[in-house]
Amino acid sequence: MKKFLLFLFLNISFSFAELKVVATYPWIGELVKEIAKDKVKLYIIAKGTDDPHFVVPKPSHIAKLRDADLIVIQGAQLEIGFLPPLLQQSNNPKIQPGKDGFLELSQFINLIEKLEKVSRAMGDVHPEGNPHYHLDPYNIPVLAKVIKEKLCQLDGKNCEYYEKNLDEFLSKWNTKLREWDKGFERFKGMGVISYHKIYDYFIQRYGLSLIGTLEPLPGIPPTPKHIEKLLAGAQNVKFILQDVYHEKKTAHYIAKKLNAKLLLLPHDVGSFPEIKDLFSLFDEILRRFNQ
Amino acid sequence: MKKILIYVFLISFCFGGQIFNPDISFILDNSYVGRSVEDEIFEELEIPGLYHPHHNFHAHSHGLNKNNGFNFNYGELYLYSPVDPYFDLHVVIPFSEEGLEIEEGYIVTRGLPFNLQFKMGKFRSSFGRLNVQHLHFWDFSNLPLVYKVFLGDDGLVEKGVNINWVLPFPFYLSLGLEVLQGENEQSFGIKGFSAESISVEDAKVPNLSVGFLKNSFDIGNLSILTGLSFATGKSRISHLLEEELHAFAGKTKIFGFDFTAKYFINSYRYLSFQGEFILRNQKGKEYEYDGNQLYENSVSKVQGGFYSQLVLRFTRRWRTGFQYNLINKNDVKVNDIRKDFPQHFLSYYAMLEFNPTEFSRIRLEVGQNRTFYHEGKKKTINEVILEFNFAIGAHGAHPF
Repeated sequence: MKKFLLFLFLNISFSFAELKVVATYPWIGELVKEIAKDKVKLYIIAKGTDDPHFVVPKPSHIAKLRDADLIVIQGAQLEIGFLPPLLQQSNNPKIQPGKDGFLELSQFINLIEKLEKVSRAMGDVHPEGNPHYHLDPYNIPVLAKVIKEKLCQLDGKNCEYYEKNLDEFLSKWNTKLREWDKGFERFKGMGVISYHKIYDYFIQRYGLSLIGTLEPLPGIPPTPKHIEKLLAGAQNVKFILQDVYHEKKTAHYIAKKLNAKLLLLPHDVGSFPEIKDLFSLFDEILRRFNQ
Repeated sequence: MKKILIYVFLISFCFGGQIFNPDISFILDNSYVGRSVEDEIFEELEIPGLYHPHHNFHAHSHGLNKNNGFNFNYGELYLYSPVDPYFDLHVVIPFSEEGLEIEEGYIVTRGLPFNLQFKMGKFRSSFGRLNVQHLHFWDFSNLPLVYKVFLGDDGLVEKGVNINWVLPFPFYLSLGLEVLQGENEQSFGIKGFSAESISVEDAKVPNLSVGFLKNSFDIGNLSILTGLSFATGKSRISHLLEEELHAFAGKTKIFGFDFTAKYFINSYRYLSFQGEFILRNQKGKEYEYDGNQLYENSVSKVQGGFYSQLVLRFTRRWRTGFQYNLINKNDVKVNDIRKDFPQHFLSYYAMLEFNPTEFSRIRLEVGQNRTFYHEGKKKTINEVILEFNFAIGAHGAHPF
């Protein structure tokens, strides 16, 4: 019993030593890691192979949220299916919406595809706009700065360290941005079809043209009628962009019919085992386009 | 399932009126029922020593799938909003064809220190696994047998307070305590009664205490959730106004153990096992009036059983499952003499469900119920239920 209490006490005293951060998605976790390195204890809720819309609110996450000093979320209602009950059950006032320990990254991005009028008859639409903004690599530096600011606010004594890490990250990222700009240049203007509107920010950044989606409406699985219509109206489609979590049969069928190339693309860190950080996320997307 | 939540802090910047409106949602539930007994007989069915029909008392009881043919089960209005930085407020108003009631109306604290949370008002008790969940979140169209006989058709819904604590462990462990009025008609009750020569005082309020412990951890893609629950209070159950007068006054303890194991194959597919065991221990005096004479007997009851269910979500939109209900203990002693009641009651159901989106569901359930007795004879019921459930508006996501 004494040993147990000591263990408990040590556990609690350690909790003062470093900032505890929870990120909803792996890419957010990676960004926190780039800035904070070993100064925070990080926990990530979703996996890179999960459908980001359908993450399960497992009670095991509550144990991590209970102790967290900060939660960083993607926002724009992407987490609405699992985060609210977890936050509510965490009994942790520090990370509730509106508190300093709650950071919603979508607030710092100009979201595209904002809708004036929303109805569920339009499928699973997000009224604030498309939430998959992290697939535009130009959004990453903006968010890196936001995270640095937040870490400095909560953990002032390590602020210089975070600033140094941010500078290093930004200079590495900016070099990479030029590389990616050059790499994606030759795909400009090419027509693509995606399963869900998850690659729209990426498509917009590199000047691809989205001809349509396999889903007739966001969140509604493909129907034969919709696919027929899509095939009839599709011209000059070079690539079918397929995420890792949806069924792939429809994409294969469409690719064959349109004589387009099927690209199985990652949407997050960890979508494939070789994608270990944010750099390899975009490197891998480029590699798959070039394949 | 999804909707609003995250912008409480936006509110401080926006002074527009409608942003202060609470989240409003409405759930509509209808069904078509085919049952091998007539509705009049179905209403009269009882389970010896465990369940008697009580017509006159709960006009707005959920009474799901009551009639052969089409049923309007319920329409439920949900309201939710933070009150201020300190409290969240939840209201649940079920509408039936007869009228409406406030089933739940409570506040929950947003920022208590030491990982504590306090709830106050009228709410579904955290006893067990299923009790706290709303009907539309259940995996089957029927109430498990142990819930029906020990907690009643509406479950344990009480006025009172709840405090829970999430313990500082690397896995999930939560400990909670509830102090409740204890008006539950199936096992507790506070109103005393008098007839002929007897007179039983009201139970002292608050009458019901509930304690619970919940634990969860993951092994790879497998999530385990277990719970232990305990409820204790006085019982005042009287049906003195009915034709066959009978009443009970005493003490009741209910123990619950629940276990859920859910294996996630991917984002859309899972296999889930869920089971709950409930044991009730009642001691007290039973009063019976046969028209001429009033009998007073001391009774002690030890009764228990479980449900267990297996659910497979085999594609994003389809689920199937099987539920097995059994009561295997029904020891009733009257004046220390054991009553010759049947000991085994069982029912089982299979379901197939199509969910076009998270907001709509069509469920076909077939099953056989071998628990009921009619005029002293066992009555086996075969059932087919086709249930339609729809949700509109801003309805918060459900916990695990």
